[in-house]
Amino acid sequence: MYDHYSGALYGIVHRIVRDEDIAEEILQDVFLKIWNKVENYDAGKGRLFTWMLNIARNQAIDKTRSKEISQGKKTDDIANLVSRIDNQESGEQAVDAIGLNEVLERLPKEQKFVVEHLYLKGYTQSELAEEFDIPLGTVKTRLRMAMIELRSLLEVA
Amino acid sequence: MNIKEYIASGILEAYLLDEVTPQERMEVERLLAHYPELKQELKLIERTLESFAMKSIIEPRRELKGKIMTEIKANSSFKPGAKVVEFTPLQNVWRYAAAASIVIALGASYLAYSYYQQWQETNVALNDLISQNQRVAQDYNVVNQKLEKIQGDFSIIESTAFRKVVMRGTSGEPNALASVYWNATTSEVFLSIQNLKEISKDNQFQLWAIVDGKPVDAGVFDSGNVGLLRMKNIAGATAFAVTVEPRGGKESPTMATMQVIGSAG
Repeated sequence: MYDHYSGALYGIVHRIVRDEDIAEEILQDVFLKIWNKVENYDAGKGRLFTWMLNIARNQAIDKTRSKEISQGKKTDDIANLVSRIDNQESGEQAVDAIGLNEVLERLPKEQKFVVEHLYLKGYTQSELAEEFDIPLGTVKTRLRMAMIELRSLLEVA
Repeated sequence: MNIKEYIASGILEAYLLDEVTPQERMEVERLLAHYPELKQELKLIERTLESFAMKSIIEPRRELKGKIMTEIKANSSFKPGAKVVEFTPLQNVWRYAAAASIVIALGASYLAYSYYQQWQETNVALNDLISQNQRVAQDYNVVNQKLEKIQGDFSIIESTAFRKVVMRGTSGEPNALASVYWNATTSEVFLSIQNLKEISKDNQFQLWAIVDGKPVDAGVFDSGNVGLLRMKNIAGATAFAVTVEPRGGKESPTMATMQVIGSAG
């Protein structure tokens, strides 16, 4: 399970916290949580990955709320971030970040914005609505439209 | 419940992000059990989310795996192999703990049940309000339509382009009375019934226009119409008359049943 999912979970966590050491620490917490709580996972309610993803995302978001990470980092541009990750750690990673960038670029601007902030920058929907003055309902429907776009871009059948 | 609209609202995405209120969560889960298409959609979103995450893979350093495995072994609350325990006082603690958890579970079930009941009641009340609201909206539409009809009728009656042709009762029906509003330019004809007798269901009234000395069919109608009734367009009429004919009307009028007649000249 670690081999299969660690890259995806680490990718999400890393993008949210923007720090290798903290991301590693979080990933460790995440797997510990997954291990200890796996009996709470209800297969009837959804995929295992979704469950793990939420644990990772929530853990990372909690961390960014704590003092260890300054809020200012959140507003960095995603493109900078991806290239920064590529440059600094290219030796150790099988990064599919270019593919990710391409996918994001093909989304309409406002959908890309929502996807980036919710899935890659660790905003909650209500934070996004509040901070950028978008009605919460609009955030939700935009994410919905983005999901439909992503479905065909990622060829999910 | 319109499931398509429900899906389009983005509620499933919010649900998967764990960003819904407890009420919304209950609703989503209740609907998921009822609507297979909702479940299907949820699965698609989950798979999209997963392949999106797989696109954003960043491999952690290799050493991390060993570190995490060690950590899990040290901290895990689940320790295989340490199962057989002697009967010691410690076990009594577990008994109390078990008893306590049963009490808590019962309490929680009761609360869950009671909240469920309350929620059901609220739901019923809400549905009542929604249907009441729909009724009011329908009534409003009916009234609105009536108003528009009256406004339309009024503008015709008031208009100088329409000439009012009063048709008075014939010798057989001295009390009968009806009028035609006729626009000679556009040929439009509207009928207004003041007093016509009741006739059997097999029959209908038929309006005739006299054009070049010959009767021309201007349409059939039933008694009991309120307001103006649009009839067939007629050009060059010199008079209008109403007869009683078999339902659907005839090609030429039955003179003996003539009710009213009026000159348009």
